[in-house]
Formats: sequence, structure tokens, C-alpha cells
Amino acid sequence: MKKYLLSFALAFISLTSFAQTDYEKIMTEKIAKIETCKTPEDFQALANDFQRIGSKESSQWLPPYYAAFAQIQKGRVMMRNGNTQDLDGVAAQAEKYLGLAQNLAGADNAEIHLLRKMAFSLRMMVNPQQRFMTDGARAAEEMGIAEKLDAGNPRIALIKAEDTYFTPEQYGGSKTKGVEMFKEALAKFNAYKPKSALDPNWGKAEAEYFISLPTEKTK
Amino acid sequence: MKMQAQKLLFLFSFLAFMMGYAQIRVSGKVTFKNKGISEVNVTLKDTYDGATTDARGNFSFETSEKGSHILTFTHPKYENVEKNVTIENQDVSVNADLREQISEIDAVVVSAGSIEASDRKRATALLTPIDIYTTAGADGQISSALTYLPGVQKVGGTEGLFVRGGTGTESKIFMDGSLINNYFSNSVPGIAGRDQFNTSLFKGNIFSSGGYSALYGQALSGALMLESVDLPDQTSYNFGISPIFLNAGFQKLGNNKNYSYGASAGYSILSLMQKIFNFNTDFIDAPQGVNGDLNFRIKTKSGGFLKYYGMYNSNKMGVRSESLEPGYNFSLVRLNGQNTYHNLSFKQKFGKYLLNVGGSYSYNRSDLHFSTETNGAESARNRLLTDGNYINFKAVLERKINRISAVRAGFELNNTDEKLNFEEVQKHYKDLISSVFAETDLGFSNALSAKIGVRAEHSSFLDKSNIAPRFALAYRLAKDWTTSLAYGLFYQNPESKYINAPADLGFQKSQHYIFQVQRASEGRTLRFEAFYKKYDQLIKTFNVTPGKEQNQQVQTALNNDGYGYAKGMELFWRDNKKTFKNIDYWISYSFLDSKRDFLNYPVSLKPGFAADHTLSAVVKRFIPEWKLGANLSYTYAKGRPYYDIATQLEDGKVMNYTRNEGKLQDYNALNFSINYLPNIGKKDAKAFPVFVLSITNILGSKNVYGYNFSVDGSRSSAVVPPVNTFVFIGAFISFGVDKTDDAINNNL
Repeated sequence: MKKYLLSFALAFISLTSFAQTDYEKIMTEKIAKIETCKTPEDFQALANDFQRIGSKESSQWLPPYYAAFAQIQKGRVMMRNGNTQDLDGVAAQAEKYLGLAQNLAGADNAEIHLLRKMAFSLRMMVNPQQRFMTDGARAAEEMGIAEKLDAGNPRIALIKAEDTYFTPEQYGGSKTKGVEMFKEALAKFNAYKPKSALDPNWGKAEAEYFISLPTEKTK
Repeated sequence: MKMQAQKLLFLFSFLAFMMGYAQIRVSGKVTFKNKGISEVNVTLKDTYDGATTDARGNFSFETSEKGSHILTFTHPKYENVEKNVTIENQDVSVNADLREQISEIDAVVVSAGSIEASDRKRATALLTPIDIYTTAGADGQISSALTYLPGVQKVGGTEGLFVRGGTGTESKIFMDGSLINNYFSNSVPGIAGRDQFNTSLFKGNIFSSGGYSALYGQALSGALMLESVDLPDQTSYNFGISPIFLNAGFQKLGNNKNYSYGASAGYSILSLMQKIFNFNTDFIDAPQGVNGDLNFRIKTKSGGFLKYYGMYNSNKMGVRSESLEPGYNFSLVRLNGQNTYHNLSFKQKFGKYLLNVGGSYSYNRSDLHFSTETNGAESARNRLLTDGNYINFKAVLERKINRISAVRAGFELNNTDEKLNFEEVQKHYKDLISSVFAETDLGFSNALSAKIGVRAEHSSFLDKSNIAPRFALAYRLAKDWTTSLAYGLFYQNPESKYINAPADLGFQKSQHYIFQVQRASEGRTLRFEAFYKKYDQLIKTFNVTPGKEQNQQVQTALNNDGYGYAKGMELFWRDNKKTFKNIDYWISYSFLDSKRDFLNYPVSLKPGFAADHTLSAVVKRFIPEWKLGANLSYTYAKGRPYYDIATQLEDGKVMNYTRNEGKLQDYNALNFSINYLPNIGKKDAKAFPVFVLSITNILGSKNVYGYNFSVDGSRSSAVVPPVNTFVFIGAFISFGVDKTDDAINNNL
């Protein structure tokens, strides 16, 4: 009888442990998909996947974090395609998820502040001329908070490098300086250990990509 | 046996486990009005299972869940839908039809007649302060920049916005809801006054060339609503220097970013430029002015916002022109103008209500001296002194009904007290216009909205009241394409300058019908507008023979028998750096057909301020490598008519008749300006200078604004701009504010 109980208990444990790994498994699977998404539609579907996971796992901050990240990536693709008019809606969605994530993770999470910065940058791109003073300033503010909270974070270094890279030389930016900063970011990536397998760990490939660009292109 | 039982149990639980994870396919289609919607998030509630719909609205996913579940459909632009599903051993198909969520962002807004420069409706034509400063020929003045938009005419010799066949006084200008009684500086006949308000004081503006909101009144043609800036982003100091002016100012921001204050002062004088350029106008006293302003803004703890702005401005000039009257060589006019304006406004939210109150006081003095000069000797001076005190108060309470509907109501008091002193003539004009108004924005769906308003006014001077209903409808034809219709009644008191003798007068009236189609997409705007405007009860006047020192006729109002119409169509196209990198350009064309019988017109005539065709183009190019912005603008207006109208008394009845008439030559002006920003991008720069060079009317076209006639009508002289071609150079330097990123983002 004891054995029956034991096997039941074992079966139960294996089921619950399976349930736990179920979250990890699906998260791992979806996080891996970030790299394969190309179009705004891909990113939207991925954001929806994370939203779904988040509504089931309502105590986890990572699903809404990744939902926000997928939204922001969607916005960035749209921005590159010159479709800046709808970025407000995308940023609003991202901010909604970031609010959820922050409620769960606390206000001192540098990763969330970095995404907030990226969301404000998207908003600014709708009308840079008029929004620089508002959304641009708020983006800079979020960046400042993120930096203060986690100076060694490679993603913060990456986004800063990107800002420098895309700023024309006449305005104090430069591609060469940007590449230097990407190299610094890469060094930080190499030294960085995410807290868990699911914690944010994106961006290294991007730094490598910019560093790998032929130098004539960086001029 | 035990082992077998165990094995069986294991097998059984394994099978149950497998069964439990057997995959069932859930699929379906999500639609709105029978069209598939993409990007809808379909979720089997409280599971990881779900999918996102594709471009045709189809979705499909597999699940191992069993039994009764809820399937949710979410999309930010549609209302959430939940459907019960029972999952057993067969694939399930679930379709859903969603309802549109009404939202402020997606709702169509009424844009007939109005051009708005605010962030919210970014898709419409924008004229931000930066747009205005970088429009060549606009001189940094809001009113001049507006002449490059459709519907506003370039008139020249008189200040004011001449909108769609309306006179300059048929458009009113408001600051934070309060009327600005003297937006333009005092002027002498033939030389237009300038904007007295600093363009950078306003963060946005809504310019309505007709069919405007019931919140505003006393303008037969149009309204310009200026919104002043809120708290500055940081403390800064600035000064500007050029051969014609000097100014300095600062803005201080409180540590907690809950208050700010600032002040500026300036002095301008034209005498140096007079020595260099060949002026058409003979200034005996070079135009000069002193101006200063003061502001504070406070955010209260309870979430209210208090703003104050006050300014003082004085200007002086003297002009000598060849006399048209026999026996005199020259006629002289000297102006000493003074103006002060104070505006205090407060707004706060109380739950669903938003309260907006504001008051303004202004005082204006125009002190004109007329004289003649014969053989070097100047005659005694006649003085025309006008003192005006104006008080305006307005309160508006707004309540939101749902996401896109609102009701607004309030009242406005507008008190005028003017004293005119000309030789033995003493005039004291007093009028209190009390108004009440109510307006509602009704959003029926994201594609259809309406605005219904009514305004009632009482004038103590006229001792009459009016009721003006207004109505507008907007409909979205397709993505990016909207159409709107507007209708409204508008009333305006006769101008006090025409009230020089007792007469039974009433409100002047106009009716607007406006139809608009607009295509607004990312960086591009295309607008087509057609309008019909009907005037009634315009005042009729006759000429009081003027003195020989001034060739401007003094007119006095007789009755309200005037009438008229204006109709036309306008096209506007703006492409903001979308087609050509770093190039922002816009083109506007206006066709206007107007006739009216008003003032001293003997019959119905095409008014002297109405050009049939007006075309303008503005091009701005930023060259990042050179840190240079280059701007061009061009205006063409078909020649307007001009009239010399005299008055005769026949059997005690007033008879007006045309002695001379003709047509002006076409108006042409090509303007050019460049801005050079050398410190852009210098990270450690402390000062941020902007150097400006502008040349107005490069081609030197000899433009004529109209003609003046002698008292007997036998001689005439052209009214021309003070200078044909003008070159301006200046430097504007600011400290404390790094404009680097600003410039980048403005010009990328």
C-alpha cells in the first residue's frame, strides 16, 4: 500500500514538476522565437503568445516583459519601414505590458526601465519635431534610471550604442563611435550572466552584427 | 501480482496522461462586418493555448485541454469577446464577429474649415513655431505664415487675416480661449501693423477659415486659436541681435518642475537699414519700438494649472508722403502707439469635468498726428487719439460622456470702452457683449462624428441679441480619407470706427457652408475644400469728407442693408520629408469668387481685398553636412480691384458713387532665408547660436497694394510696401538649452 502511495505521490510530483517545466518550456520556446521573427505580424503573434502565458501565470513578470519587448520590436520594424504613424498604438500596448511587469517585478528593474525608454523613443518617432521635448526627454529619463540601477547591463550599453550609431556626425553621433560602443556592449555581454535561463538575455547578436559590418559602411 | 497491479496502474496513469495530452484542433475565423481581422489574440482562457489570427482573420491551434472552456478574442481596436467552447474528442470550429471599440485616437474628427497645429491631430496640416520661423518671407510672424496656407489672402497694406473674401477684422485671434483685442501693433494708413506676440510663446494653433466652434464668436470669417506653452523643459537664457533689434530674455523653471517664470525685453529701430536700402516709404521718424513681457505658470497641488502672460509694447514712427491735394507738397503722419495685454487662465479637472476659465485685459493707445508740409514749412498738427480698454472673461465647463463624446458649455463677457478724440470730435464708445454657448461632440463610431453647437449673444451697445446654431459632421471614407461638412451662423458687431453718428444698427451676419475631403497619411496631407459664404446685414456707410492732411476717408455707418457672398475652392498639399530626403514642402491654391455691397460700395462689387487666384509654395531643405537650413517661399496672387468711392448728398439722401476704379497688377514675391547652426552637435558647447539671413522679394517685383485718391478724386498714388526687397541678418543665441537633439530630430 505504501508503494501505491509512493507511486501516486511520484506520479503527482512528476505531474507538478512537469507543470512547472511546462512554463519554462513554453517560455524557452517562445523566447527562442524572438530571433526568428521578422515582420510586424510575427512580433504581434509572439506578443500575443506572451500575453497568453502572462494571463495564466499572473505572478510572473517575464511574460508581460517579453510581450512588451515583442511589441517594441514590432514598432522598431515598423519604424524602419517608415510606418511611424501607428507607433503610438504600439507603444501604448507595450506600456500596458510594462505596467503589468513592473507591478510584479518592482520599480527598480533596469530591464523594464530600458524597455520604457524604447517605448518612449517609438512615441517620439511619430513626430520627432514636436515630441522631442516630451517623449524624447522621458526616454532619456528612463535611460538614466536604467543606467543607475544596473550600470553593467549590456542591453543598456547596446541601446546607447545604437543611439550614437544612428545620430549623424554633425550632431555628435558617429558610426565609428557607435561601433566602439557596440564593442564595449559586446564585452559586457560576454561578462554578463542572466539571473535565470528565462531572464532577459537578448541583444548580443545585434552588437555582433554592427561590429561585423564592413568599415566602409560605418563611415 | 503486486508488481502487475503496479505496472497496470502505471500503464493506466500513463495512458490517462497521454489521453489528457491528446491534441484537439481549435480553429475559426474572426470578422468585423464580414471582413477578416488580423492580429486578434485568441486564447483558451487560463491556458497557454491560443493563436493570433492571420491577415484573413483565420486562426488555428491545438490543445490538450478538455471539457468546458472559454475562448477569448482580444484586439486593442475591438471590444473583447468571450465564447464558451466544449472540447471533447473532435476538432472544434469557432467563429467570432467583433465590434469596433470607439477610441479617441481612431475617431474621425471634424476638420472642415480648420487647420490644426497640435500633436494630437498630427495628420492635418501643421504650422508649429519652427515651421513658422523656417518659412521664408513669414518674418517669424504667425499671421504672415498663415498667408501661405489656403484661404488666407496676401493683402499687404493692412494688418489682419483676410480669410476667404472677408476683411481683416472679420477674423479674431484668441489666446488660451481669451480674445486678443489688439493682436497687431498700431499702424499708420498704408503700412500694416506687425504681430505683437512672440511666435515661440505658442505651442500650437488651430486656424479655422470658417465653420468654427460655438465657443468663439464675433468673427464673420475665421478664428485663430493660439495655445500658449506650458512649463518650459528647462531653465534657459537667450538673446538676439541684428541691425534692427536687440532683445534678451530668460525662462526659469522651478526645482520641482511645478512652476516657472520668465521675462524678456527688446528694442527695435529701423534707421540703420534705412541708410542701406532704398525705401519706398519716406520715414521722417524711423519705426522704433520697445517691448517687454512677463509670464508665470504654476501647477497647483490639486492638479490645476495657472498661467499668466503680460506684455507691454510701444511703437513710434513718422511717415511723409507726397500730398495729393493741390497747394501742399507733403502730408505727414506720426504715430505713437502703446499697448499692454494681460492674460490669466486657469484649468483644472474635477472628476469627469474639466473647468477652463480665463480673463484678459488690454489697453491700447493710438496717438496719430497729421500735418502737411508746404515749401519746407510744416502746418499745425491735428491729433487723432484713440484709447481703448478691453476686458474679456470666459468660463467653459466640459464633461466627457464616453470615450469620444463630450458636452461643453459656458459664457463669455467682452467689454469694450473706447475714447476717440479728434479736434472737436469726442467719441466715447462702450459695448458689453455677453454670450452663452453650448456645444457637443458626438462620436457615433470611429468613422462618424458630429459637432452640434449654439451660441447666443447680447450686445449692450446695439441692444440686440442673436442666436447662432452651428453644425459639423465628419465621416471616414476609407483609411486616411475623411470628408467633413460644416454649417454655421456667425454674427459680428459693426466696427466701432464706423460708428460716428447716430444710426440704428444691428449685428452683421454670415452663413458658412463648407465641404472638405482630406487625405492624411504619414508625412503627407492632401486637402480639398469648397465653401460658400453668404453675408447679410453688413453695414452700409457714407464718407465724411476728410481733412486735406490725410487722404484716408472717414466713414460713418448708416444702416445694416449690406449683403454679399464668397464662394470658392482650395487645394493644399504638404509632403514633409516623405518623398525627398530632408525636404519639406507645401503648395496651396485658392480660388475665390466674391461680391459684396457693403460700407460705401454703391453697388455689389468684387471687394478690393479679394484676389481670384492665390498660389503659394513653401520649400524647406535642411543640409546636415553644412548645419544649414535653406528655405524658399513664393506667392502669386491675381490682381485685385481697387475703387475710389465718393459720397454725394441728393435731396438729403446719401448717394455713394464710384469715381475711379481699376485692377492692380498681379502680386508676386519670392523669398529666401537660411539658418546656420554652427554649434549643433558640439557636446560641450555652452551657447547655441542660430544665424539667420533672409531676403524677401529677391526678384524685386514692384508690388502694389492699392491706391489712395485725393479728396476730389483727380489724383492718385499707389500704396506700396515700405521696401521692395529687404535683407535681414540676425543672430539668436540661447544658453542652457542644448538644441542639439532638437535640431537633429527636427531635421532628420
